[in-house]
Order: sequence, then structure tokens, then C-alpha cells
Amino acid sequence: MPLDYRRFNGPEDSVSYKRFTKGYLKSYDELYKESLDDKGVRKDGRALSEARSLFARTDMVSQAKGSSYVELRKTKVVCSVFDPREIPHQNEFSQLGQIFCEVKFAPFSCPRRRRPHVPDAEEKALSVALRKALEPTVCRHMFPNYQVDVFIYILENDGSCLSAAINAAGLALADAAVPMYDVITSCTVAIVGEKMFVDPTEAEENLATISPSTPINHGIITLSMLSELKQISDFTQVGSMDVECVVKAMDILDKECARLVPLMQKVLVANVLKCFETRKRLEEEANEKEQLLNAKMDEWKKLLKFT
Amino acid sequence: MAEIYKLIHPVKYFNDYLSRKIRPDGRAFHEQRNIKLNVNSIKAADASAVVKCGNTTVVCGIKLELATPKAEEPDVGFLVTNVELPPLCSSKYRPGPPTDSAQVTSTLVADIIANSKCIDLKDLSIVHDKLAWVLYCDMVCIDNDGSLVDACIMTLMASLKTLTLPKVTYDPETEEISVDTSVRTKLNVNGLPVATSFALYKHEQSNIVLADPSSYEEEMCGGIGANLITCYNNGILCGSQKFGGCNLSIECEEEALKIAKERAQAVEEVVDVCIKNYELEINK
Amino acid sequence: MAGLLLSQSEKLFIVHGVQDDYRSDGRSNLDYRPMELETDLVDTATGSARLRLANTDLLVAVKTEIDVPSPDKPDLGKIEFNVDCSANATPQFEGRGGDQLAVGIANLMQAAYQSSQAFNLKQLCIFEGKQCWKLFVDILILECGGNLCDAVSLAVKAALFNTRIPCVKAILMDGGDVDLQLSDDPFDNKLLDVGTAPLLVTLCKIGDKCVVDPSAEEESCSVVSLIVGITGTPSCYSDQENLAEVGGKFSTIDMNGPGSVAPKTLKDAINQGIVAAKLLDKALAKALINERKENIRTKKSSYGFLK
Repeated sequence: MPLDYRRFNGPEDSVSYKRFTKGYLKSYDELYKESLDDKGVRKDGRALSEARSLFARTDMVSQAKGSSYVELRKTKVVCSVFDPREIPHQNEFSQLGQIFCEVKFAPFSCPRRRRPHVPDAEEKALSVALRKALEPTVCRHMFPNYQVDVFIYILENDGSCLSAAINAAGLALADAAVPMYDVITSCTVAIVGEKMFVDPTEAEENLATISPSTPINHGIITLSMLSELKQISDFTQVGSMDVECVVKAMDILDKECARLVPLMQKVLVANVLKCFETRKRLEEEANEKEQLLNAKMDEWKKLLKFT
Repeated sequence: MAEIYKLIHPVKYFNDYLSRKIRPDGRAFHEQRNIKLNVNSIKAADASAVVKCGNTTVVCGIKLELATPKAEEPDVGFLVTNVELPPLCSSKYRPGPPTDSAQVTSTLVADIIANSKCIDLKDLSIVHDKLAWVLYCDMVCIDNDGSLVDACIMTLMASLKTLTLPKVTYDPETEEISVDTSVRTKLNVNGLPVATSFALYKHEQSNIVLADPSSYEEEMCGGIGANLITCYNNGILCGSQKFGGCNLSIECEEEALKIAKERAQAVEEVVDVCIKNYELEINK
Repeated sequence: MAGLLLSQSEKLFIVHGVQDDYRSDGRSNLDYRPMELETDLVDTATGSARLRLANTDLLVAVKTEIDVPSPDKPDLGKIEFNVDCSANATPQFEGRGGDQLAVGIANLMQAAYQSSQAFNLKQLCIFEGKQCWKLFVDILILECGGNLCDAVSLAVKAALFNTRIPCVKAILMDGGDVDLQLSDDPFDNKLLDVGTAPLLVTLCKIGDKCVVDPSAEEESCSVVSLIVGITGTPSCYSDQENLAEVGGKFSTIDMNGPGSVAPKTLKDAINQGIVAAKLLDKALAKALINERKENIRTKKSSYGFLK
């Protein structure tokens, strides 16, 4: 690795202290027991099919055209969208507008390790996945030869970060008044054997990526949907699983995505209402000031007449 | 109407406000924006803090690591501070390596922390010449609306003040390291350096000092960041830097230093109250 | 593809053909075009293969190195994919043009090989926690004639089948170091178990149906394609009779292209993908085993371009 002269670097051989703690290496069975107890309750008290409560708001970054913040308990994602700009370094005219996505993890976002400052393979893969999810959603023919920048910053990663990023991007694009076909929602499921962990945490995702010794299904599926139009805009799966498992997971994710739509709509409606209110308030203030000015003018005019 | 006027006559618009002794966002010249602080909201980091000064939002997270100290300084640990300005915080930044202004901000923050001597790097040493703590402190700007350095220093100090170091035992014979996370000691922090930014503007023969400038004001005053940054620790001036803008008269400097000193006390109070509340909550 | 222009009616002809399971070149929706495959061409690599599928031409070489396993997976080896798009392949790859595609394919391969049910990394372990083999799979795209993912996965599997890893004895010394002893006999080496290695199948959505191995004309009629990675059947690659019937599981699913699909189409497509992959895997196994037998009997003269 070449040294990054633009930042302050620590010593080369530094390692996280967590490697020297007890229980750094746990066996598969231990991890499994930790994630799910005998009664089928997950570590954070949720049932298998229960998603985390979603907190979302728009208008997060004052400098951006549109922005949003999505929180799934510990997973925290900020997104901002900027004004369309001409596609840089391009000779040909492009009929469709383009979407540029960048996903970045904060250096302190992951519980296991420190993230490097330079974009790594995972960040690049997430950026591509996000772009693919958004492309069918945005009316790209409305801004030919222009590009919309979508930036995602993951402050804390506790699983399902691609879903959180897609949900945040959908809200931010709507906040920036970029024309879209439908509300886009996304959800993740982690699969271990017969168990399907809806909206998994980082520990559950880790469990699902480790290959067990027995040939059971395992892996992670992320699906993003345009629920009104009944279209899947992006589908990614890793791990190893059979057809029945994929189909079953798809049905679960389909429902979960549809469940999120009214929540998103509520956030967006609240945003629009807030905009109307501020505008009304400003208009009222302006009117008041104008009336005061007019009153003063009348006074002066009267004074003029008398003299 | 005002928006159009602002676009067509940017300088006149700004001057009109200043001649009426008020700033475009309604503040008086020396008035600062509200500060909101929250500590330890990011559980993946070993310590963290989020600060909001007006719209400017900065998140700081600290990750602890272990390393062998440098041969020439065997008793000293490492404090690595970096300021990240991701493209989402402002339309001025593009993806890619840190821009010049990001590097300047990073250096400035590192200098302030080093000059104020708030952290004794010897406290970070564990075993002479064998093992020392490395504190990776990353300050990420989520929303850049001016006075960035103030917010960065504030989050960094709030995170350092809540940071606890787990107990490390080192066996000199087998060179084996074991860490016990249940026993933790607080990091020694000496004082609390507070930076205060100012924008300087020349208006009709007189110099105006604008405290805690927004990014629009910084831009109008000709700088990429603030024009004057001063830092106090324990009531002692520990650094003052001037970047561009108009000339700084002695009266103005005195005025600025007075504001900075007052602000240092106010910020100290905010940080202390916030940490106290947090500690009460976890001890409950 | 550069300069490929189809009129509306030509496109309609192709769509109708696909609808009736009879494509313009006479294939059915599940048929591949003929392929040429050759292994063991690069002397400096531990395994290599060259594949030509219609106009797509690739060379895959596997290199081995000894590495330290990652601390959280002490008993696993490593595998890394690197794709290089030669500027000769198509004019679009000039300069950095092929980078995005290359990273995309490499990420896809990495995801497909992640699960131990797809490729068992335990066979690359030399000494647990201390030393392991790291495989570098270099994929060079010489000519680009569409359907790259499928061709890459076939060639990679063939190259891995051809890879021989030297036998190394590891002894733990005092102080925790490992002493490695390499046998003097150059023929003392082991083959990799690649029976379950996944194959990627690209399903191109045309109309409401999906086709495999689309020609350039067919590609231009489609806005979205689905890539499925399906693990192989080990019984085809081994002479042992009593192997359990495993494989045929999804190791990765991904969508490509700017469009979206309906859930039903997606489900149909993944079922179709499994059928196609099983046929493909059988054919590949037959070809590879034949090639190995021929190689043992006589060092046949290869008709590749490299010798």
C-alpha cells in the first residue's frame, strides 16, 4: 500500500485491541446460539420476521439540494443529493440522464475493524448496487446529458446497510424534487438453514456469510422494489441456497418492502407540509412588514400635504 | 425578491445588511449559533460525539488500536486525527482524495490539539518500547455551514473526554498480549481547548468581526474557511491563525480574543454538562 | 456493441422469436453457442485455460502464493480474482474504459466463490492460523463478443480444474514460526477439488421471457439481465460413484442493466438459470475430463495461439 500523504497516518503495524480480547474467535455454534435462542428470539429481542423500527427524516444537510437520514436502530445512514450537473468528460450526447452514486463508510463505522479512508472493494460494490437500484426508479429521460450525484455516508453499520442506503437515497431524491416513477423501498434478509432473519444486524449478517460445516442454506439477499408498479429494481444474493429458499425469501422481502411504503410516504408528506408552513409564515411576515411600510408612507404623505 | 437581489448584487446585498448592524441570518455581529452536543451515539466506535453548531454538523469517532512505539520515542503513544470532508457535506467537494482545504483543516486541528497539550502522549504508552495505544480519531463533516474547525475541536474533545482505555496485560517472555475490556480507565485530558472562528469584513472604512460565520459569510469574506481562528485552553491562549480576508486591526484582534475567551467558557460548560448527563445515565 | 443499429421491426422479430422459444439463429432459449476450450497453455502459471465462446475470447491463469490467513478465519485459504480488459477486445475498453466492467466481473466472481459450498477454501490451508495458499486468478479478456460473465466463470472453473498445488509439509517450530518443506519431486502435487465451483449464467430478459447466451442483436432488445451463479455438481467431475448429489444451489444472484423486472419473471428466470447451469456444468465436466485423459496418454499438441 502506498502511503497516503494527504492524511495523517498511524503506525503501519497497528492492530485493533479486540483481537486480544477473550472470545475473539468463536465457533459457529456459539455464534448461532448468541444470535438466536431456543425460543426463536433474536439477541435484540425481535422475532425472526420482525424488522427493526425505522427512523427517517428528510432535510438533513443544509448545503444539499435534497438530503435524508435513515436509522435502523444502530445502523445510521446520511444521504445527500445535489443539483443536476452536466456529465463531466463526455464527448457523446446521452439521451438519458445519469445517476452517480458513491457509498462511503465512516472509518469508525464497523464494529470489527477500522475502515480505510480510500474506497475499498465493498464500498465500490455497494455504490454499483445502489446505482442499479436507482436507475429504473428515476425518470432519467427528464434530464438528458445531466447527472445527479447521490452521496451516501454510513456513520454506523449494524447490518442491512445497503437497504438503509437505498431507502435513504429514495427519500433524498424525492426531497431534491428529482422526478421518480414510484417510491423505492428496500429490505434485507439473512438466511441460516431454515431460519430467515428479516432486517439482520451485523452479527447476523456475519453468521449468514460464514459457511457452516453442513450443507445447509445460508446467505444474504437484498431486494429493492417499486411496490406500486410491482417491479424489482435490484436483487442481490450471496451465499449458497436452493430455489425454494430464494423464492420464499423473495415473498418475505416483497411484503416487507410494501410495508415500508406508507412510512416513506408519511415522511415525505411531513416534509412537504413543513415546506408549505414555512412559506406561509414567511409570506405573512412579508405582508406585515409591507403593511407597516405602507402605513409609514401614508403618514409621510399626510405630513407633506400639511406643509 | 430577496433571493434574486442576493444573486444579482451579492456584495451590495451583504453590505446592506451589515450597515444595519445585522447579519443576513438575523444574528448580531458577535452572536454565535446554538450548539447541540451528543456523546457516545455511535456504538461501533470506542468513543464518539456529534456536534451541531447551527447547521454545521460534525461526527467524531475514535477507534483504539495497539502498536509498537517508534524506536526513537519508546515511551510515547499515537494520536492520529483526521478531518474528512466527504462530498455530501457541501457542493464544493467532489469524490476523491482530500482537497487542499480538507488537508489544511486536518493540519489545523492536529496543531491545535498538539499545542494545547491537552493529551499527554506518554499516557498512551503501555509497555516501554513494546506496546502503546493508537487513537484513530476521525472527524467527519456531515454538513459544512462554516466554522468547521470549532465544531471539529469540540467533537474531538467531547469524544476524548468520554474515552476509556481497557486494561492490557503484556507478558514480556512470551510477548503475549491480552486485553480485559471489563476493566477500563479514563483517559487523562488536561483542560478543554476551544477554537473560535471569525470572519473579517471591511465595511466603509471600519473592520467588522463576525463571530461563528456561516459558510455564506465565509465566502463573502474571501476565505475558503474562516479568516481568524483562535484557541483557548484553561483560559490561556494557545493558538491564533489568520487566513486571508481583510487586515486585522489591533482593536479588532482584542475584540475577537475577548469573544473567544468568553465562548471558551460557555463551550466548556456545554461539554461538561453533556458528559455529566451521559455519565449519570450509564450509571443508572 | 459499436455501430449495431436495429430497426423497430427487426427488434420485434427477435422478441416474437424468443416468445416462441425459437431464436433467429435456430437455438432454443436455453441453448448456448458452440465453445472452444483448452487448458494448460501457460507454463509459468499453475493452472490455465482459454475459452472462446462465439466472439468472446478469454485467457485465465491461476497463480499460487503462500500467505498468512486472516485472523478471523484461521483455517481458510484465500482466493482473489482480477479481471483485465485488454484494449484489443473492443474499442470501448481503450484507456480506462473497461475498468468498471472489470471490477464488476471480479466482484461477481468473488461473491460467487465466497461460500464454502461453492468453493472450499479449507483445502488451501497449510497450517491453521499460520500459513495458507492464496490463489490469484487472473482473467484476461482478449476479445469481447457479449456474454462475458458466463464465459469467465467457465474458463475460471477450467483453469482451477487444471491447477496443481505442490505438496508442502508444515512443522511448527519454537517461537511460533512455521517451517515449510517442499517435496523435491515436481510431480508430487495435488489437484484442487473444484466440483462445486459455481458457473454464472446470464439470463437476458427479452419481452417477458429470458434467454441464455444472447447474441449482440438480442442484447440490444433487452434492458435488464439477471446473472445467477449456480454451484456445480461434483459427481460429474469425479470417478467416485457414491458422491452425494449436492450442488445446484445459488451462490450469487445479481441484476444488470438499467431496467427492472416483475417478481414473477424473476422467479421464472432463476428456475431457468438452474436448468441451464446444470446442462452447462455437465458439458464442461465431460470436456475437462476428456482433456485430462488425453493429456496423460500423449502430450498432445495444442492448437491454441500461445504455443
